[in-house]
Amino acid sequence: MFRQAAIIAGRNTKPTQVRQYATLREIETRLKSIKNIEKITKTMMIVASTRLSKAERTKATTEQFAKQEKNFYANAEADKSPLAKEGKNLIIAITSDKGLCGSIHSSMAKKIRNVLKENANADVIAVGDKIKQQILRTHESNVKLAFNGVGKSDPNFLEASLISEEVLKFIEQSAETYNKISVYFNDPVTSISFEATNDPVYNEQTINEAPGLCKYEINEDLNVNRDLFEYALNSKILSAMGKGYAAEISARRNAMDNASKNAGDMINKYSILYNRTRQAVITNELVDIITGASSLD
Amino acid sequence: MFSLRTTALRSLRRTYATEGAAENVLKLQFAVPYNTFYKSSPVKQVNIPLESGRAGILANHVPVVEQLSSGVVEVFETDASQPGKKFFISSGFASVQPDSTLNITCAEAFELDSFDLSKVQSLKSEAEKNLNNADQTIATDAKIQFDILSKLEAELK
Repeated sequence: MFRQAAIIAGRNTKPTQVRQYATLREIETRLKSIKNIEKITKTMMIVASTRLSKAERTKATTEQFAKQEKNFYANAEADKSPLAKEGKNLIIAITSDKGLCGSIHSSMAKKIRNVLKENANADVIAVGDKIKQQILRTHESNVKLAFNGVGKSDPNFLEASLISEEVLKFIEQSAETYNKISVYFNDPVTSISFEATNDPVYNEQTINEAPGLCKYEINEDLNVNRDLFEYALNSKILSAMGKGYAAEISARRNAMDNASKNAGDMINKYSILYNRTRQAVITNELVDIITGASSLD
Repeated sequence: MFSLRTTALRSLRRTYATEGAAENVLKLQFAVPYNTFYKSSPVKQVNIPLESGRAGILANHVPVVEQLSSGVVEVFETDASQPGKKFFISSGFASVQPDSTLNITCAEAFELDSFDLSKVQSLKSEAEKNLNNADQTIATDAKIQFDILSKLEAELK
């Protein structure tokens, strides 16, 4: 369709005499707009690179923060609990509201869709507008809860606890029991690559049945397991947000770097084209002038 | 016979688990969301405030999971000449893993030296005003604030 329009536009402009001047003007405006795009992408890249070091630090500290649950789950062998395989699955997918960062959000959506292909009745909680839109398009009935306004800056404890509080409210009101909650996030494997992975959080019943729990002395009266589940959910969401944020920032930096490079290539091509056309116009005018002058002789 | 073998196996496994680290050393992992104070560093003893009272954790402590109340976490590093480092924490969780690692995570923690007593007192009196507020949430917030600040004040004095 676009091509056809271009052909028609081309046909209309072809026979007129002023064509060369018009293309020159056209090329000029095009060149200007590409230069502006390059400025924007370059600035976004610089902003992303300055944010990257802070994001990496947050990622490291939140990862350490979530280590307690990781160690506990590993030692208590929570994944071997008979309840872990039962019940409905709850998926918390963590992305952000902002785009312009390459394929990071769509790869997460692809991952979630693959999970939903195998496990069609799993419930999804979407954190961030990007994942919400993508999952709603294909699996509308699975999305139970969605958050937005996240991922604007480094995640903090308060942000994560506001989300986990709503999640807990949702779990309480729901008729289903979710023995295993999978928190999906983008893990920055290296500075240039990322991978959508997940970390589990088990509810207190599952932990109670875990085979390795007997290693621990736990005060049952204080309801430690329930509190631990709530705390674990919070710290998992926090560390997932930390990792996701770092992955997104580095992906944005790379995407914007590439975009600036492409814009630079286009600027080179267009400036050559512009100069050539300008030269052609000047030569044409000279020829006109010379022929005019020689006809007077 | 069988039980003897299993205990033998278990003790074997225990030695395996602690083999990587130096013998009889407590490893401390102390983290808040924005900072990591200790990252599996060897320490001598850690005193922690629990919901059920204060506790001192040494190496080879039995594995536990405990909820922390607000109070002071005191860390004695391996260098015996140094006095213990004190941190004031809001609340959180502590767990001792079978490999003699102590995990402490809490929402907020700062070194006790960084608090200003006069500021704590003024904040405390401010919280005291709201204790009997008609709004239940404000009153509860004030109660928590007041409790934590009184504990902090007692530690600073």
